[in-house]
Amino acid sequence: MSQATHIRNFSIIAHIDHGKSTLADRVLELTHTVADRDMVEQVLDSMDIERERGITIKAQAVRVLYSADDGQTYQLNLIDTPGHVDFTYEVSRSLQACEGVLLVVDAAQGVEAQTVANAMMAMNAGLEIIPVINKIDLPAAEPERVRQEIEEGLAIPADNAVLTSGKTGEGVREALEAVIARVSAPQGDPDAPLKALIFDSYFDTYRGVVALVRVIDGRVSKGMKVRIMATNTVTDVEEVGVRRPANLPVDTLDFGEVGYLITGLKDPALVKVGDTVTLAKHGATEPLPGYREVKPMVFTGLFPIDGDQYPDLRDALDRLQLNDPALIYEPESSHALGFGFRAGFLGLLHMEVVKERLEREFDLDLLATAPSVEYHVFTTSGEEVIVHSPQDMPKAGAIERVEEPYLRATVLVPPDYVGAVMELSESRRATFKDMQYLSATTVEMHYDMPLSELIMDFFDQLKSRTRGYASLDYEYIGYRTSKLVKLDILLAGKIVDALSFIVHRDKAYQRGRVLTEKLREIIPRQMFEVPIQAAIGGKVLARETVRAKRKDVLAKCYGGDITRKRKLLEKQKKGKKRMKNVGNVEVPQDAFMAILKVDE
Amino acid sequence: MTASLYVHVPFCVVKCAYCDFHSTPISQEPGVADHFAWAVGEGVVHWAALGALDDVASIYVGGGTPTTLGPALVSLVEALSRSVRLAPYAEVTVETNPDTTDAALVAHLVDAGVNRFSLGVQSFDDVVLRTLGRCHTAASAQRAIEELVSAGAKVAVDLICGVPGQSLDSWRDSVERAVASGVGHVSVYPLSLEEGTPLAESVASGALAAPNEDVAAEMMELASARLAAAGLRRYEIASYARDGDESKHNIGYWTGRPYVGIGPSAASMLPADVFEAAIACEAWSDPGVTGVGRTLESVPAGTGRIRFVRSADTIAFLRKPVGPPEEVEYLTPAEAAAEDAMLGLRLADGIPDALATSAGSAEVLAGLESRRLVEHVDGRWRVTHSGWLLGNEVFEAVWNAGARRGLVWHSL
Repeated sequence: MSQATHIRNFSIIAHIDHGKSTLADRVLELTHTVADRDMVEQVLDSMDIERERGITIKAQAVRVLYSADDGQTYQLNLIDTPGHVDFTYEVSRSLQACEGVLLVVDAAQGVEAQTVANAMMAMNAGLEIIPVINKIDLPAAEPERVRQEIEEGLAIPADNAVLTSGKTGEGVREALEAVIARVSAPQGDPDAPLKALIFDSYFDTYRGVVALVRVIDGRVSKGMKVRIMATNTVTDVEEVGVRRPANLPVDTLDFGEVGYLITGLKDPALVKVGDTVTLAKHGATEPLPGYREVKPMVFTGLFPIDGDQYPDLRDALDRLQLNDPALIYEPESSHALGFGFRAGFLGLLHMEVVKERLEREFDLDLLATAPSVEYHVFTTSGEEVIVHSPQDMPKAGAIERVEEPYLRATVLVPPDYVGAVMELSESRRATFKDMQYLSATTVEMHYDMPLSELIMDFFDQLKSRTRGYASLDYEYIGYRTSKLVKLDILLAGKIVDALSFIVHRDKAYQRGRVLTEKLREIIPRQMFEVPIQAAIGGKVLARETVRAKRKDVLAKCYGGDITRKRKLLEKQKKGKKRMKNVGNVEVPQDAFMAILKVDE
Repeated sequence: MTASLYVHVPFCVVKCAYCDFHSTPISQEPGVADHFAWAVGEGVVHWAALGALDDVASIYVGGGTPTTLGPALVSLVEALSRSVRLAPYAEVTVETNPDTTDAALVAHLVDAGVNRFSLGVQSFDDVVLRTLGRCHTAASAQRAIEELVSAGAKVAVDLICGVPGQSLDSWRDSVERAVASGVGHVSVYPLSLEEGTPLAESVASGALAAPNEDVAAEMMELASARLAAAGLRRYEIASYARDGDESKHNIGYWTGRPYVGIGPSAASMLPADVFEAAIACEAWSDPGVTGVGRTLESVPAGTGRIRFVRSADTIAFLRKPVGPPEEVEYLTPAEAAAEDAMLGLRLADGIPDALATSAGSAEVLAGLESRRLVEHVDGRWRVTHSGWLLGNEVFEAVWNAGARRGLVWHSL
């Protein structure tokens, strides 16, 4: 066991793709934590999706032992955090487990929106921030410019920023030396009752919920009886240990240490991120500050293409939820799509990741409807109705007003693209708040905008209109009243509930027109004519027609063609299986996402 | 066993802009044509020795453009006549193009036993011909038809509709001129863009407008009406003939008759026993072809029919005319029936109830009937007018209803 004076708890924070996970790999190598033969890229990103996309979804903690230049051995606990805005709360909890951070900035890209957001979070948590300018091996690297951006834009002194290359390993030792010199050793009261912060958890099929914890005060040992405070759950500690990165049991975790804790609890809902673990008897009276319930912000309908897969989808969601308590879902039925689930997510990335995991890890063919947000509908009879799905919207006559979630968006962009950002934002009901120059090359702009507009492909549009230069971050600022209506889409005269969406009244006509045009392109010609209509209540706003298919025949079919043409027919059948029969119209998956592409 | 014989001649003067068939420009190297004729002769001897050519209902020499072989084509046809036993009234067709149709060559071919020519006219509009990358004109097509007809052979011509830039008037004129030429057989194909062809690339780049399916459908209907009025009945999706002028060879493909294919990329379809006899031949266990000895030791149990394809490599064929195929497909009797039902529904007369039952397609046919794509008349199922133009709906349903297991494929 190390003395607290020889412990350093730190995190690496960065904008996506600035090299956080690769830098973590180099730390593991340098400290011989992972044997060379077991070294894979992005060791701490254990999910396939994390490695493929180069993102971190789950927080991870790893303990490394580092022989420092002063001849002493230090226990370093590196906490790898998710980098995406969807997981802001998780990041904030991870930071509470640390005393300092390495703020990694790409030497070519410079400061971006999540750099700012993460740095602010670290500052608010009172952490020591060590700027690290990474990827200095790149030909386009401009460490001096980036150093200036950090100083001017973030007001963080950067004259002693560490220059590193995750690729070559250059500067990694210097970064660790900086951690030892500048990050303070954990402070805490060894004699106070146990207080441990849960900063993440995962589910192990054999052991139940495994909580990743930082001991703030006191100590925790195997066999103790503990209480998890917010959920008021009393349980025995079956095992404590440290992550190297595989689990290594130890007798005790002392104040200042980071490790894991297994209680045998099987229900992840009882072991929530941000909660405090204390002693069951004579425990702490006050939990650690900052705990809150995580609320899903984005909702979508998930339907199996093959209705027989409904039970499989339910089982798969149950399984995923064990490792991802932020995922919520309830059964939903649609006239058009049959039985499925309405699922809630922290954000769009979270939604995409869950859908991809359901399809890949559980071999399901899913159809997802366009994402929606949580609306608060106040009816004329004085009730408040929570609406997660356009289908559940009360009739127009019964609605007094509707509130929708708003957020404060921060966009960082080179000055040349300020106009493009303004144009896009205006078309998305965003209210301009202010802007400032972070440096000669970077402008920071703030907008208040509805979340429902942000999830409509806003980020992709922002990227394409600024040639990829803009970066985006946002935080929720609460609910505001908006003039919202439900727009229905009718195919062959029948409302397709899964295509309905909620839209601002002033935009309804334009969105309806563009969407019917899009659908006309997406829906293949059938054997009969298919009218497509957009309507509010009974009033039709726009109409397009998919004309009947007149010709579809392989005209030439002789000896040498037969096998090839037959394979074509088999492919055609598979293509049809990927479509959903709505009434008797074959509708491809893309149709349900078409509403997101109305700006193209 | 009654069978058909197909010979693939992979040479063309110039490859057309829409063509994705296997062909190479004819080599100027002297002797290639004769060498090719010899190689085909070797192939014919091989299959004749196995008894596959004891009762040949039809021969079709296609390509490519067989007439690019010149006099060697005559020796090739003579070699075929020597080695195979032709059924009475057997049909012997040679495919040709206007620019390679030479009166003397035609006369020699007729003397050698050719009784039918299939001429690639495609259009009587020179602008359309240029779009298609054809190297002949409407006038030379007209002249070629006259030469072929005067040689005393049956003549079939091909026409293509739905070509970018082709007007309805241009199309009507081509159909009229085909009718006026007095040929007994016309094939009408809507243009299909095949991946990788220059025409497909022109469309992808925007240099040419994409073919319009509605216009193509209208043109097919126009041709059908005009040809019927002239006494050429549509007996298959794309084939029109006067009574008695239907292509026996092509009908073989649509009614499940076995066929032997010789030449690069040629496909054959044979019953299991004949294929097994071929496997046993010395020439098929070529140590130079990896895996053949192991993979083709025997035919999987329960196989009813085998289709296989030779490599498209012309040089390899010239070096070794007899050898193992590149791809083999084993079909169960049920799958063979499903395939026959699918192909039989291309014919205007359709398929008998017995075949629909053995193909397992009775139920889907009833479903297609309710969608007015097929009709049931006198104990036979056949496509309706809309089923003719929307044939893929019918073929897909019938094939997928009958094919219940994944097919066994061998790629060698």
